[in-house]
Amino acid sequence: MPAAVEFRSVRSTEEAVASLSEHGSDACVIAGGTDVMMQYARHELSPAVFVHIEGIKELTNAQRDGSLRLGALVTHRHLADDPVIRTGHPALAEAAATVGGWQTQGVGTLGGNLCNASPAADTAPPLLVADATVELCGPRGIRRVPLEEFFLGRRHVDRRPEELLTGVEAAPLGPRQAEVYLKVGRRGGMVVAVAGLAARLSFDEQGVIAAARLAVCSVGPTPLRVRPAEEALLGLCPSGRMTDDGYTALEEAIAALSGAVSPIDDVRSSAAYRRAVLPRLLRRSVEVCRAAVRAGISQDDLS
Amino acid sequence: MMWIELWVNGSERVAEVRPDETLLELLRDGLGLRGAKNACSEGECGACTVLLDGVPIDACIYAAPACAGRAVTTVEGLAHADGELTPLQRAFVDTGAVQCGFCTPGFLLTLHALLAENPTPTEEEVRRAMVGNICRCTGYAHILDAVAQVAGVKE
Repeated sequence: MPAAVEFRSVRSTEEAVASLSEHGSDACVIAGGTDVMMQYARHELSPAVFVHIEGIKELTNAQRDGSLRLGALVTHRHLADDPVIRTGHPALAEAAATVGGWQTQGVGTLGGNLCNASPAADTAPPLLVADATVELCGPRGIRRVPLEEFFLGRRHVDRRPEELLTGVEAAPLGPRQAEVYLKVGRRGGMVVAVAGLAARLSFDEQGVIAAARLAVCSVGPTPLRVRPAEEALLGLCPSGRMTDDGYTALEEAIAALSGAVSPIDDVRSSAAYRRAVLPRLLRRSVEVCRAAVRAGISQDDLS
Repeated sequence: MMWIELWVNGSERVAEVRPDETLLELLRDGLGLRGAKNACSEGECGACTVLLDGVPIDACIYAAPACAGRAVTTVEGLAHADGELTPLQRAFVDTGAVQCGFCTPGFLLTLHALLAENPTPTEEEVRRAMVGNICRCTGYAHILDAVAQVAGVKE
């Protein structure tokens, strides 16, 4: 018989950190448990103690004060439904709405999605393109880590055993900026991404891409920001009929994207299919962002 | 083992649970409420859907000890004490939305939660709400009819 596991519900960040400090890597943090309980049932986890954090009320808020601050316990339903998030972070809201069904979204948390560090974590690409930072609280205080550096490998993040991920900070959309999360799966819901791509693009007054952020998931061991492809998109003018230069920039971005990813064959798809679909996602993301910025501008003109 | 207190279908219950017990095990084996069904055990099919503080969850992957002090609603708690069905349950019967019946409790709880927060959903909203519930008989059309009957679903 394996030693019996313990289940401890905590009410504050301090209590959680004390518990995690006491048990170190024998502790498993659990919130809604939608990943943890399944992995436990499959014997992929064997903690000595579950530290249950759903009762820490201070981590359930989403606040917008310049940047967006999301508590670790904000649920996917909250991300999908909150008007502030839908306006300032439409790609994040859209991504959260595609995570499982209502039953998963209602209790599954943002902190859980990030700490579980699935290669297919849907909330990661939209947060990567929003220059997100995670906040970790440990016995010696707070540590902030750019999300890009937080993912170390499949199911592996830069969180020390005694630390609790308490929140995420992200930059909302600016003027003449648009973003989108595109996800490929076998059906419209309850899908783990075959491939996912988030883009956040800024356009100048002539409709030329002035700044670009791109991030992908399910095409490598971790969600990934793709800086070389971002650079290749600068100067591209995707409006109307594209010039030869425009095509070259897009082809360069596609080549850079292909060079940065390392997809595998698995139960959901083949590496070859993932490679085939990525350029199409990139092209579509540019079109969608361009259209969104144009629509935004015409709305501004009317008002 | 550990003791927890929780509210189930409006009654306060005290239960002894394993620290790694699921809510579904507690409901079916501990409390004898067999309405929530065990099918996939992985949060994929929605047959075990119950409401936790009004929010639909998959009881098969929710920790029983996490329910301490909270309110759980199962299909047994929907109808009135005298057996009178809710309008949605009545509509399920009237429209033939029940085939083998195995998925029915899960659908009822998800759709009760939907109608509680959005009494007049569009068909698209109903479809999106049901994405986590699978009907193996594929009787979705009649389930949509049932919701339309009680909610006057908009096109």
